[in-house]
Amino acid sequence: MTDSKYITRTENKAIEKTRELKTATPSVDIYENDNEILLYADMPGVHKDDVTVNIENGKLFISGIRRLDHQGVSNWAEFVDVEYVRSFSIPQSIKVKDVAAKLKDGILTLHLPKSEAAKPRLIEVTAA
Amino acid sequence: MFTRMNEIDRMFGAMDLLRTKMDRLFNEMDRPYLHRPAFTLSTNAPRINLLENGDKFEVRAELPGISKDDISIKIQGNYLEISGKREIETPEGFKPHRKERSATTFSRSFTLPDEVDAEKVNAALKDGILYLTLPKSEAAKPRQIAVN
Repeated sequence: MTDSKYITRTENKAIEKTRELKTATPSVDIYENDNEILLYADMPGVHKDDVTVNIENGKLFISGIRRLDHQGVSNWAEFVDVEYVRSFSIPQSIKVKDVAAKLKDGILTLHLPKSEAAKPRLIEVTAA
Repeated sequence: MFTRMNEIDRMFGAMDLLRTKMDRLFNEMDRPYLHRPAFTLSTNAPRINLLENGDKFEVRAELPGISKDDISIKIQGNYLEISGKREIETPEGFKPHRKERSATTFSRSFTLPDEVDAEKVNAALKDGILYLTLPKSEAAKPRQIAVN
């Protein structure tokens, strides 16, 4: 059976553009101390070059594409190629230019340092 | 007349979209586990793919953040067992906001379709995925039969 049984040519521009890959939500851990916010995300199978970290207008957007090689006959499949996508709201006090990202063993580590103004300060009380 | 044709066009386009969605629904009906994150609390085991490649099997397992010392692989005939533990280290001096990744121990065992040669098994860990190459044992290998 062929797919081409249309009376007229179908117009693709009426159809919404969908993603090429299915999306998956990575599990994350978020920690904070006085100096920075630390984020861990599980992205098994994602190569370093396929990770995108985007910070824009108080939104942190992480994306990682997993491409596995498919050689041979699949007898049993529980995981497939996916795009890991997740976004977070982050405080404006993050120093965007000092954000560091690291990918090791399928775990993305993000260091989001706080700006000096946002760090907690101990106010000394002086006798009047 | 031409505007009518355009409307028909659009209608078919929408039907096409619906059909793709239905196709996808049926393909994935029995596989709801495909897109969940690895190591959720409900599935306390890594997800596994099994590929057959001529004279060898290839097993892949999602093991993010697990060091190779924490994984143990047992093979006997056609029985394969992957077990290990996952440790989540809390960084010193940080207070947690969100903890979705969990420390766990896991074990999964399989009966492979054929016996494998345990001596020649190769295991590699890359980007949080375990790649196991399991060559079939001599008796189970595919053989070329000459036609007389």
